Amino acid sequence: MKRDVPALVLFGAAALAPVVTRDGFLLDSLILILLWGAVSGAWNVAGGYAGQVSLGHSAFFGLGAYSAALLATRWNQSPWLGLLVGALLATVAGLVIGYLANRLKGPYFGLATIAFSQVLLILASRWRAVTSGSEGIPVPFRPGFATLGFQSKVPWVYLVLSLAVGIYLVARYLETSRPGYQLAGVREDEDAAEALGIPCRRLKVAAVAASAALTSVCGGLWAQYVGFVDPFYVFSVDLSVRFALNSIIGGIGTAIGPFVGSLLITSLETYLRATFSDFKAGLIGIYLIIYGCLLIVVVRFVPQGLVGFLGERLRAMGRYARA
Amino acid sequence: MLELEAVTKRFGGLTAVKDVSLRAAPGEILGIIGPNGAGKTTLFNVISGFYAPNAGTVRLDGRDIAGLAPHHVCALGLTRTFQLVKPFGNLSVLDNVMIGALTRVHAVGAAREAARRVIATCRLEAFAESRARSLPIGLRKRLEVARALATQPRLLLLDEVMSGLNPTELVEMIEILRRLHADGLGLIVIEHIMAAMMRLAQRIVVLHHGEKIAEGPPQAISRDPRVVDAYLGEEFVLADA
Amino acid sequence: MGAVPQLVVSTVLLGGVYALIAVGLTLIFGIMRVINFAHGEFLMLGMYLAFWSFTLWGLDPYVILLGAVPIFFVIGLLTYALVMRGVIKASHNVQIFTTVGLSTALQNAALVAWTGDFRFVRPWHSAVVIRIGEAAFNLSQVVAFLVAVLFTAALVAFMKWTRAGRIMRATAQDVEAATLMGIDTDRVYRLAWSIGLVCVGIAGVLMSPLYSVYPTAGLQFVLLAYVVVVLGGLGDMIGALLGSLIVAGVEVLGSYYLGSAWKEVIYFVLFIAVLVFRPAGLFGQRGAENLGA
Repeated sequence: MKRDVPALVLFGAAALAPVVTRDGFLLDSLILILLWGAVSGAWNVAGGYAGQVSLGHSAFFGLGAYSAALLATRWNQSPWLGLLVGALLATVAGLVIGYLANRLKGPYFGLATIAFSQVLLILASRWRAVTSGSEGIPVPFRPGFATLGFQSKVPWVYLVLSLAVGIYLVARYLETSRPGYQLAGVREDEDAAEALGIPCRRLKVAAVAASAALTSVCGGLWAQYVGFVDPFYVFSVDLSVRFALNSIIGGIGTAIGPFVGSLLITSLETYLRATFSDFKAGLIGIYLIIYGCLLIVVVRFVPQGLVGFLGERLRAMGRYARA
Repeated sequence: MLELEAVTKRFGGLTAVKDVSLRAAPGEILGIIGPNGAGKTTLFNVISGFYAPNAGTVRLDGRDIAGLAPHHVCALGLTRTFQLVKPFGNLSVLDNVMIGALTRVHAVGAAREAARRVIATCRLEAFAESRARSLPIGLRKRLEVARALATQPRLLLLDEVMSGLNPTELVEMIEILRRLHADGLGLIVIEHIMAAMMRLAQRIVVLHHGEKIAEGPPQAISRDPRVVDAYLGEEFVLADA
Repeated sequence: MGAVPQLVVSTVLLGGVYALIAVGLTLIFGIMRVINFAHGEFLMLGMYLAFWSFTLWGLDPYVILLGAVPIFFVIGLLTYALVMRGVIKASHNVQIFTTVGLSTALQNAALVAWTGDFRFVRPWHSAVVIRIGEAAFNLSQVVAFLVAVLFTAALVAFMKWTRAGRIMRATAQDVEAATLMGIDTDRVYRLAWSIGLVCVGIAGVLMSPLYSVYPTAGLQFVLLAYVVVVLGGLGDMIGALLGSLIVAGVEVLGSYYLGSAWKEVIYFVLFIAVLVFRPAGLFGQRGAENLGA
């Protein structure tokens, strides 16, 4: 399909990268770009396709991260099981949030999701008995596929790429399937959709729950890759905003948008980190200031994001060329 | 097919609909008229499930539907349109109608075909790929009807689909509705444009301050003194002419 | 019970300051219909203003309070012109992300400029303890409370009895009608926004002797302010005052019985509960379900 060309290019390049280079830094950057793209893609299922803008998705990310970490450390289980448990927990949380989505409109839903993520943050950082409290949980490295312990970065590239492609396909499914079209109706005008026979509440809850589950899987993988789960990071509002940011910059409600957004934002961050490695506190702030300003500017002047903008330009050129 | 008995709807201290009973037989065109604020749209909202009545029953084919969710009511064969049209602005006309069709036809491809047929019936083919947001009001009204039609209703509730149309569009809309009626579709039409209502409706119900004040064939209604009183007589003089 | 007087006093004192934050927020929401996710950051800026004035020039927070009014008013005018004006008529999503972006930018500007270290403003009066009967409280708390109440009362009076206040309330009720009446709604919004920021900036200055100052200090207070505002009914000033007392009460009691670690959980849960079960607020008529109406 024509629409999938940018995805083929992006994911294809990612797949070829380990063949072309073995540089640890570059591969690490690639893994992070794909991973943040995947999470943003998961957010987009609720935020872009269902129109439920959540500012608390770090709740699900953290649930996934903690599930993976706890199952590996406390109960000596395979992290794959951790991913599954995390997804189940996140689905339940997603159903609760989905219920809220049906009761609250717009910014109020956003506020409630922030509150929810902060409740989880407090629980995780104080419940020493289970979560080791505010110290966080280091994730042990045990070599082997079952334990997601890879010596080199290459398997990680393909693992995360698979996740990214999976989430991309979920988004494409939402663009071409019956539930997807109905969801578009819900997003555009809920009353009209309801009058046309679309079960709006059910669809919204399903979208939020699916988004939550996917987000948590990303969180679980991230925990395994990075090796440490810090409650103040994984449940932070900053992280939630970042998931939304990638989608908005790239193109909210498009399948490839979150990945394009992640490419830009994560590259910028990686570049700044590398360049200003001695100005530690300063650097952390600067790129976030940029993100904040970028958000303000993009959401007002290019609300359809980069992908939407380019798409319109291309279509306009096509019409012009034909005429 | 549709039976309302003693339906009442209150909002706090205001009684928007009071003790209204009416019947719509299958395949009939029933008109509802009344001054602004008479409770017509509220009545539609109650019938279609957007409000639950405070009292009374609403039966579709003998089944009590009062308080059912609107999407459920639609699945049972009753679809309504909105007075202030609600197109899916960022989607194409085809996608708009297709979303309606998807309620009955689950396969996307088949739904798209069904949508094209409905678009043809409503004479919107030229605009199938246009974004709904870009359409002028006349075409938006037609889109509203087409989209509702795609859900394959047995009873269609139209809320002021004629207002805002120019004379040509008005004639086209009446023709489309007549043809739908000829195919067996039941219609309940809220309208202010009396000339159109007179030509279209087989029976008319008149609401005033939430109560039904008259019911009968168009000619009788236009002469009913209570109705003339409520409307100050002007519109009916025009209708007669 | 020996603790009751103390609890009551703590509640009232705390409630007064929360009221100041909430009143600014409810003003902004009531008139502009915008949820300001960055409200907490202006509180934080107020705190830092007090800190730097105290540290660099030895100015007591209550002195800088006078300067804070024009400073935050100007900040309000600037942020309105640069950021808010363009999105007043935009969709909810655009408004959400605009103020979220503002929040992120401000938080991190503070982080970059002043580091994440916790700072403290401890003038002489923050150590003075006053005892009345069984209740003990801090002089700083009392002053904060008094100033907050004074300011809030002045604001309520302004809204009720001055011409400008009436114009603002008219705009809040019906924007189109206001425009037709010749009211310059842009000026109304600008004024509402700026006054709202002055309120929360002053609250920050007042609170600086009582809390620690750090870049993300605003977050917990903004959520709390929203609990208050939703409880009291959006746009309802008196409701905001009453809501502040209720929330302060919940917090004080929660701290007392459950320890301060869990009080945050309490008011987050309270927030969600209020939104879900009483979106119109305990006293108000408009509410979360009427956003954008």
